Amino acid sequence: MMTMRNLLLLAVALALLVIVPPFLGLGWQNMLVNVLIASLFALAFNLLIGQAGLLSFGHAAYFGVGAFAALHLMRAIEGGLPFPTPLVPLAGAAAGLLIGLIAGYFATMRSGVYFALVTLAIAELFHSLAPQLEGVFGGESGISSMRMPWNGIVFGSMLEVYYLTLAWVLVCGLALWAYTRTPFGRLTLALRDNEQRVRFLGYSAHTAKVIIFTVSAMLTAVAGSLQAISIETANYSLFASNVSAQVVLQTFVGGSTVFFGPVIGATAFTLFSFLVSDLTRSWVFYQGLIFVLVMLYVPTGIGGVIQHHIHNRRQLDWRNMAGHYVLAFVGALLLTAGVVFLTETVAVLFGEDYAMVRHNAEGGLPPFELFGASWNPTGLLTWLLPIVLLIGGGALLIRARRRISTIWDRKGPSNATATEPLLAGGAK
Amino acid sequence: MKRLAMIAATSAAALTASPLHAEPLKIGIIESLSGAQTSTGRLYANAVKYGVDRINEAGGFNGEPVVVTEYDNAGGAPDAADKFRNAVADGVDIIFQGASSAIAGQLTEDVRKHNLRNPGDEVIFINLGGEAMELTGEKCQFYHFRYTTTAPMRVNALVGAMKESGDLGTKVYSINQNYSWGQDMQAAAAAAAADGGYTVVDEVLHDVNKIQDFAPFVARISSAAPDTVFTGNWSNDLLLLMKAAGDAGLDVTFATAFLDQPGNIANAGKTAIGHYIANNYDNAATDGKFAEDYKTATGHYPIFVEGHSAFALGALQQALGTVDFGGGDIDVTKIALALENTTYETPLGPVSVRKEDHQTIRPVVVSKVVENPKYPADETNMGFETVKVIAGEDAIYPVQDSCKMERPAE
Amino acid sequence: MEFAIISTLNGVTYGLLLFMVSAGLTLIFGMMGVLNFAHASFYMMGAYVAYAVSSVFGFWVGILVAPIVVGLAGMAVERFLLPRVHAHGHAHELLLTFGLALIIEELIKIFFGDFPVNYQMPAELRFSAFEVFGATYPFYRLFIGAVAVVMFAALWVLLTRTRTGIVVRAAERLPAMAEALGHNIPIVFMFVFGTGAALAGLAGAVAGAFYPTNPNMALELGVIVFVVVVVGGLGSLKGSLLASLMIGLFSSFAVGLDWSLANLLGVVGLGDWARSVGGLLTLELSSISATIPFALMLIVLLVRPAGLMGERN
Repeated sequence: MMTMRNLLLLAVALALLVIVPPFLGLGWQNMLVNVLIASLFALAFNLLIGQAGLLSFGHAAYFGVGAFAALHLMRAIEGGLPFPTPLVPLAGAAAGLLIGLIAGYFATMRSGVYFALVTLAIAELFHSLAPQLEGVFGGESGISSMRMPWNGIVFGSMLEVYYLTLAWVLVCGLALWAYTRTPFGRLTLALRDNEQRVRFLGYSAHTAKVIIFTVSAMLTAVAGSLQAISIETANYSLFASNVSAQVVLQTFVGGSTVFFGPVIGATAFTLFSFLVSDLTRSWVFYQGLIFVLVMLYVPTGIGGVIQHHIHNRRQLDWRNMAGHYVLAFVGALLLTAGVVFLTETVAVLFGEDYAMVRHNAEGGLPPFELFGASWNPTGLLTWLLPIVLLIGGGALLIRARRRISTIWDRKGPSNATATEPLLAGGAK
Repeated sequence: MKRLAMIAATSAAALTASPLHAEPLKIGIIESLSGAQTSTGRLYANAVKYGVDRINEAGGFNGEPVVVTEYDNAGGAPDAADKFRNAVADGVDIIFQGASSAIAGQLTEDVRKHNLRNPGDEVIFINLGGEAMELTGEKCQFYHFRYTTTAPMRVNALVGAMKESGDLGTKVYSINQNYSWGQDMQAAAAAAAADGGYTVVDEVLHDVNKIQDFAPFVARISSAAPDTVFTGNWSNDLLLLMKAAGDAGLDVTFATAFLDQPGNIANAGKTAIGHYIANNYDNAATDGKFAEDYKTATGHYPIFVEGHSAFALGALQQALGTVDFGGGDIDVTKIALALENTTYETPLGPVSVRKEDHQTIRPVVVSKVVENPKYPADETNMGFETVKVIAGEDAIYPVQDSCKMERPAE
Repeated sequence: MEFAIISTLNGVTYGLLLFMVSAGLTLIFGMMGVLNFAHASFYMMGAYVAYAVSSVFGFWVGILVAPIVVGLAGMAVERFLLPRVHAHGHAHELLLTFGLALIIEELIKIFFGDFPVNYQMPAELRFSAFEVFGATYPFYRLFIGAVAVVMFAALWVLLTRTRTGIVVRAAERLPAMAEALGHNIPIVFMFVFGTGAALAGLAGAVAGAFYPTNPNMALELGVIVFVVVVVGGLGSLKGSLLASLMIGLFSSFAVGLDWSLANLLGVVGLGDWARSVGGLLTLELSSISATIPFALMLIVLLVRPAGLMGERN
């Protein structure tokens, strides 16, 4: 339901996206482009899992196909083809449509975990064949091109790329949102919830799944071509399993049951990676940890939690709860600090650099540097600090959570409908 | 919070905009610091940092210490492109990278485009390990410098040294990974046949780092009965190949390019003894002075790619000594021109830049795995013994026709 | 002839290794309907535990301890983590194990580093079993094959011929009924999951000494193992054995054959045309032997969507 207020919110967000970037540095502009591309990728991916209940582990295939198709078109433009540069993603869309149709036909022959495995294998097929097909994928170094000017726009600066990306992501996002409102969009939801009923209604479940798969692949390919436009090259590593894994992580941490959930996840991960990926070698470990914790305790993701709170905002005793939420937040912060400290300590102690230091110290355990201080590996404080942080933070969090769920319970089930996602903090 | 600090610093600088300090030279290391090639990426980063420390010990550059920042490309070309832009946003002047030709290919293209679009604000790319021929061929450009060998240099060195020591034989097998580097190696092995007086009995290309079981390949090698097997394989592909050959009792000599990758000697065990490698650097081939210096600074002897990467920084340091911006703006093109004219004396011999394609003319060391060497590898009792050091002018190959370098207006 | 015999030998032993890794996965899926994405990570964990233990207590202790440790880890996952997401369906179980796979891989990198570790078979196993056409055949390959065969036989007997097996299968088909008959179903499931994980751990401990033990080994083998179970039919022990052997043999034979589609088209006189087109048509079979399993999977999906031995889903 598009209420007046939602519309207003959207308009404000849009205005910010248009007005703010020129005032940002190059690094931040680049980061925003990445956020937009990741958001579209996650939204397209979520069409499959959130709408049709199909979990794909190989969406890198369509992302890559889109990127390569766009690059081939860009090279043609470079060679003199009169084609407007801003419409290059159309090539990606076409390629994604075609490949998605073929791959979707195979993959949707099976459902559930089989589907996940088949999509994974299709992506691997691309990953292993691509470096060998020089003509199409340009070997292991890939193919590259340059954005050509169009109608006086040079597309040389990051800002121009940003606005182009923004336009495409908005159009595709809007189309996806509109799609969920169409009768066919409703039908796909039924596919997720009760496939048998769809079949009894006289629809071919397989055909419907192939169509959704194709649409998802097509929009994923658009995201891929936007990346191609932005970085002007593509190579076979776009098909790698970690590309597929990233979109899964982002979508589910953001929340796959809410339309904007994937955008939240994509934004959070891209921002996080921009800020910390060069700082710690355990960055992927933290990502995995966040994902598992979300799966265990917040299965509806960040988006689900937010939506749940918004839906129930009138029934809740906010004044009473605010304190507990602050407490929970502090607890989580302490817990995070404990985990990070422990991980980084272990990473240092077992690292190659420290092994060298130890080797030179003839078997002793010399102190090490971490977070701008020196720590003694056998010192009490080195181990007591993370333990205190973990226990203190954990106790705080559990206590606050219990209080919060009591308050939620008191609110009563009056408002809870069947379609509503489960409570995040988890009453159970 | 290096990045956060940097962002805060640059924003603060933008606000105040008062030139309190001279412009420091900024170096960016865009390496595989996570993902499958982390181990190699880490070593390149170590060596670059060692080299930068030497520059700063000697007083830095332009009146300021040289600033070095690491960027993790996660082993992928798209990530590298992204990190390149972050580096540009941070104002980096010189980029270093080594692990993977694919990423080198990406970065050299990024640098080329950046320099086209931002004249006066150029970036130099110093390639420490991307050995694909195209980097100094089709993709060659003025702002790219390759401070490492290529396939023909390694193969020619191997052929020469092995022929002299009588280990080459007359029948050669070539097995390589199916991508540009492997294809370059295969072509180089075939091209050197006449000089080496051997015939290539069979050649095969295989998937890169995807093969779990090399026994079928060994069976195929075995049926061709070669004396020597040339392979450019690295990482798992080399290890698995050598183990499978050892297990099958295959009596051949391996002529390799990456046998000194950490973990290889320990993992291959006794199987490794007697096999050859052609490389940029080996501790045993020197008087040991540099190795000791490196150990004092970092805690360990230089291994694998660390040695020759440190020399690239040495060359840069020497080049920086010939330019002076008087504490003002840094003109990267001048540094590139100085680098072109720099001949750096490494413990193995001089390294200089060939102006036509920016390939370095550099010595190549051919070594052999022996027991009880001077510098044991992987904490085993095995290691490398120098067979021959081939001087730069003997190892170099002609400039490729495909290189059409555009030089900056002088 | 020589080529055929050696390729068959190599193919069968490699196939048996694949089976060894996929057996636990098949067991868990067949019994509990859970696809354990972290299975290959358990395999890797087995290799690393065996490496760590064997460097102090010797190879055989390592082989013994690794499956126990990994089995316990598997039990913990089943007991404490899976039930939390069970209510949200199989997709969430898959996602959870996927996250665990990421965590295990990164933990191993933190503790053991990024380089391959020096995990070796003991000297007493390092000898050649026999000689074929002038090449020796390593005994350890046969050892890996033998472990796999024993594993298959033991699982098959356990599931079909023992009381425990009957209870487990009953628990899978009609959990409520089995529970009513007095069997503790959660404990049964915990042991099934633990056994599956332990099998992966054993496979890792055995194979890790032959192939390099490095942090990428899970990723490298994982995908192939998933292909094996899809081709064989998820949950079918016989199916995964058959699929493993097929993929092993295909990969082994492909290496020796410089066939390409262009050669094939040459038979009908289109060879030159195909070579002029290039691309996919001129790729030699030997250079894409790692791609074959995926192609095989697509063919099987077209012809028999349920897999070779699978029931319809």
